This record gives sequence, structure tokens and C-alpha cells, in this order.
Amino acid sequence: MRAPRKLFITGATGLVGEGVLRQMLRNDPGLEAFALVRNELPWRQVATRLGSLASRVVPVRGDVTQSGMGLEPLVRQRVERETSIVVHAAADTSFSRPLDRARSVNTLGTYHVAEVASDCRQLDRFVYVSTAFVAGRATGTVLELDNGCQTGWVNAYEQSKYEAESTMRASSLPWTIVRPSTIVCRGAAGDIPQINAVHRALRIYHRGLAAMIPGDRDNPLDVITSSYVIEAIASLALDERALRRTAHLCSGRSALTLGELVDTAYEVWAESPEWRKRGVERAIITDPATYSLFERSVMETGDVRLRAVLLSLSHFIPQLALPKLFDTTLAERLLDSPPPAVSSYWKPMLRALIAGSWGHTVEKAAA
Amino acid sequence: MTLHKQNGQVTPAIAGISYVFPEGSRTVAELAGDSQLTSSAATMESFGFGNVHVAVAESPYELALSAASKLLSDTGVDRESIGLLIYGGTPGSMSFAPADEAEESASGLCTMSRFKYPATRLQYDLDLPNAWPFAVDQLACTTLLGAARIARSLCLTEGIERALCVSSEFFPANAGREAIFNCTSDAACAVLIERNGERNRLVSATNVTKGYYWDVDELRDEIVASYFPTARHVLLRTIADAGWAPADVDWIIPHNVSARSWEILSSLIRLPRARVFSENIVRHGHTLAGDNFINYRDALDGGCIQPGHRVVLFSYGFGAHWTGVAVEA
Repeated sequence: MRAPRKLFITGATGLVGEGVLRQMLRNDPGLEAFALVRNELPWRQVATRLGSLASRVVPVRGDVTQSGMGLEPLVRQRVERETSIVVHAAADTSFSRPLDRARSVNTLGTYHVAEVASDCRQLDRFVYVSTAFVAGRATGTVLELDNGCQTGWVNAYEQSKYEAESTMRASSLPWTIVRPSTIVCRGAAGDIPQINAVHRALRIYHRGLAAMIPGDRDNPLDVITSSYVIEAIASLALDERALRRTAHLCSGRSALTLGELVDTAYEVWAESPEWRKRGVERAIITDPATYSLFERSVMETGDVRLRAVLLSLSHFIPQLALPKLFDTTLAERLLDSPPPAVSSYWKPMLRALIAGSWGHTVEKAAA
Repeated sequence: MTLHKQNGQVTPAIAGISYVFPEGSRTVAELAGDSQLTSSAATMESFGFGNVHVAVAESPYELALSAASKLLSDTGVDRESIGLLIYGGTPGSMSFAPADEAEESASGLCTMSRFKYPATRLQYDLDLPNAWPFAVDQLACTTLLGAARIARSLCLTEGIERALCVSSEFFPANAGREAIFNCTSDAACAVLIERNGERNRLVSATNVTKGYYWDVDELRDEIVASYFPTARHVLLRTIADAGWAPADVDWIIPHNVSARSWEILSSLIRLPRARVFSENIVRHGHTLAGDNFINYRDALDGGCIQPGHRVVLFSYGFGAHWTGVAVEA
């Protein structure tokens, strides 16, 4: 007789990891889990939020950057003996890391998790949480498979995640690769569980500290909700049809264009009489060459704050000028539902961002 | 606010332009060597700057008087026909001090000397008995475009036959010469506006002032960031108000800020870079309010601007004003 399913999850203190852990425990009352924990304090906060579900989770101390995740030998033996599903969600999601640091968590970290997983005798599935932006500088339709790396990447995060995917594909593990798009809010209400580069960029434009946006108004720009991503991962982790498949957890064909996203942002900001009074001019969506010239000029002239602003944008903003349509055919078929329409949550998210003082509320809660 | 094209018979026009530079001049490398730039000489040169004019012994008033006298002499107009004299530039008593005494003369603004007005003195020295003299202030580098716009309006509404607009601005000797990534120059410029003219007709004018940016120290970065979107907005509105399309514009006559910024701005309005008259940036630097009309005169004299050409003059005044004027040459 086979033992009940047991999950091993990394990144449980992150947005996606915590969500997937909660969802899977809720979906299967018999499921138990190991959660890899690097720092005790964040885990305690997660455990508090999980409530009674936490009683089915065994935190195990470790670090994906260490060989064998740095697990104690006895703990490792138990993990190898009992684990049937691995969800590897731990990642360094900063876009500004140098390549060696991004690799140490995202690429080597994945290798270390895979190393332990390969010794798990009952392993049914290894779900690797990648990113849609492993597509890097590619343009056009991005398929749910290895699209190669000929075009290069915008930042080290994308590259390190692509390399981690390659580690997965080369392994004999029963892998499933999921590629979420950029998460901007939890769901239709627009509440923001975690501030990221998109929210910080929006704040810069709201303050009128950036003049231009590289890209084309008509280019699609993919974003997604955390609830969709979390539910999808929890489902695909148990779906035999997802074995050795790659699924885009993206808005795909329901993505809005860059122009629509920007127009809506300025429309929402203009709801405030105080903001309107400032007369902040709408940033211009322009071609990458003009944007680069502007960027180079600011970088050369020594304005510290403006340089910092442009530097912070530089790690991902080139992606806006690289139009992509993420194919979601497989994901939609496996999940039996389309992703939520971006138009349903983009405006609520913008309002929530202002109501939450641009993340101050979120960051205060996290602290 | 926007001034629309007049459809009637009467169209105020530019009847003449004259300008003078002080005797002294410095290269960008010399300014950098004397710590008068915050950026390196190489950076300023890559932005298109090469040479600037520097007043030492001259006062702003002397430069203004010289430019205006030359204009009246060149055009030969009846001085009694000039009903308006608008002065813009260095305020009050400071105008009368040479550049090397500028800082000391600034204290005069707190004494009775503040009532020694350059506009009034110009009216006397130029022998313009019928001219109503006043000054425009706080428009920074858009001062002369603003003065021309006021002159145009008063020519139309009050029937003034001719208006003389004069600007003269300078930086004290040995002061820093870099302002918002631009190399500044000293100069005076005089423009004669006539109530009705066949050439160089003032077709439309647009100004956007963003009062939020009044605190230029505190909001410097926001101002720099807002420059391009607002400049694009004003340029396109000036062109549209003239009844033109961007492709109809033969020349953009710029203020002499960095050539790089004009490269960016011309791209943002999808106008070929070659249509921006930028030859004077390297020769003269940024003469604050005088740039547009100095450049217009040189473009006319050099044969670049031909009769019937559609020309847009654009300037930005730190503090924060964006102004465009459409001229049919």
C-alpha cells in the first residue's frame, strides 16, 4: 500500500510558494508537507497565516544554495523517503542581481533541489516554478516548450531561470515546468500581496520622474494574478497530463496592450484632484533607440536621483519593447479554463496601489 | 493657453531682429578648466556645445541698448510709430552694472536703485516717445517669445503699429556656466513686431506653465523628467493651432539647449533631425531668452528659411514654462 502524498516545497515564505502550500493543503486534507525554511522568522509568520493547516507542515532548515540544500542527514533521509511531490518555488526574483548571484539561487539552487529529489524514492512529480520571461529578448509567439536562448536575456534573473529550466529538462525527474507571467495582484479585487518592479515603476511614472516608456502602444504586455498562478500550480502538480510538459501561466491572448495599460494608469491617477493639479505630463511611449538616447544622456550628466530611477527601470523596461504573445494553449487545456482577463483586475490593482500608499501597507504588514 | 491663428486681414509679423554678443568668449574646455562647469568638457562637447560668449566689462543694459539701436537703425522705422517697448532680462538696477560687478550691484535691488528701470531708460536712450515701456519677468528662457506674444496681442487689440521687444541676460563674470546640462552664454536680442506684415507672420502661440514645478530646487528631477513629454505636447499643439501637420513644418528654431536633447525631441515628434536649426548651439551656446530669435535671424540670413516656410520656435523656461510660436516666413 502506498503512503499518503507528501509535498516538499521550497520558497514557502514567498508569495507563490505560500499560496501553493496553502492551496494544496486545502485541496487534499490528507496531504502533509515539508517546507524548506532558510529563516525562522518569515516561516513563523507564514505558519501563523496558515492557521490550522500549519499543523500538517514540517519546517526543515536548509538553503537551496547549499549542496543537498544543506539538509541535516537524518532530515534528508526522511525527505527522500517520504516525499512524493516537489514544488520548487524558491527564487531570487530581483531583476538587478549580477549573474553569479542570480545563478547561485536560481540555477544552482534548482540543481541542489533536483539533487535531493532524484533520491526521493516515491517521487511522482517535480514542479519547477520558472517564469514566462525565460523567453528573454525573443519576440512574437512564445510556445510552451524550450524556445532556445539565441536571442539572449534582458537581465540575469531571466537567464538564470532559463538555465534552471535546462537543468530540469536534462534530468530524469518527472518534471513539470510552470512559467508564470508578472504577478500584479491577487485577483479581481486588485489587492496587492507583494510589491514588485511593476508597482515600483508605476510609482515612478505617477510621480512624474520618468519621461518615456520604450515600446509600441499596440504591443501586448503580459501580467497575471497570483490566485490564478497558485491554483494552476496546485492543480498541475497532480495532473498526470502535465508530466514533462511546460505550461504558461500567463494572460496570453487576453493581455492588454502597453498603450491600454498606460492609458488606464493615467486615467486612474487622474481620479485624484490633487494629482491632476500637479499637471504631471503623460510619459511618452517611444521607440527603444530614442529611449536609449535619453537614458544615456541622463546617465552621463550626473543627476544622482534620476540616474537611480533610470537604473532601477533598466533591469526590466527593455522587455516592454520586446512584444511577446505567450501561448497558453496547453495551460488552458489542462486547467480547463482561460486565464482571468487583465481588464478585470488592472484598474482595481491601480486603485489598490494608491490606497495602500504604494506598497507601504503591504511592506508594513510583511515587517 | 493658446493663441489661435487670425483669419482676418491683419497678421502681426516679425519685422526685424538684431542681436549682439559681448566681446569675450570662452570654449567649453576653458570653462571646465576654470571650474565653471559641473559636467566635464567632454560631456558638454558631446551635447553639442563648443563656445560661449561671456560678458565682463559690458552691462546687460549696454548690450540691450546696442542690439535695439542696431535694429532700429537697420530697419529704419519711424521711432514715433513704436507704441510698445517690452524689456525682458536682468532686473532693475542690476542691468546697469558690468558683469564683473554684478554681485555687488544686486544689493541695489533693496534700495531706491530698484526703481532705476532699464525699460524706461531704453525708451529715453532709443528716443521712443510713444512707446509704453514695461518689463516681463519670471518667464526665464521663454521671455522673448512671451514678449513677442504680448506684442502680437496688443498690436491686434489696441492697434499698436509697432512693438519693440528686447532681452538681455547674463551670468555674472566667473559664475558657473552650466544650467541643467546646458552651457550658457551672454547676449542681447531685439525683435521688432509690426501690426501687419507679409513676411514672418506670427501665426500661433502656445504656452504651458506648470506651477507645480515652481520650487526648482526641490523638484529639479521631476522638472527634468517632465521636459520631454511637455515639450512634445507644446510643439504638437503649436503646430496644430497653426493649422499645420507635423510633416508640414520646414524648420524648428530651437532654444540652444543640448543638441542631444533636440535629437531626442525631434524623434519624439517624428520630425527629421535635419529640420532643427541647430548650427548655433556649438557657436554660441544657450543665450537664455535670445536663442530663438538669434537663430531665426541667422537661418533667414543663411537662406535656410525661405518665404512661405512653416517655422516653429520653441523654448523652455526653467520654472517652468514651455512655449511654442508658429511663424510663416
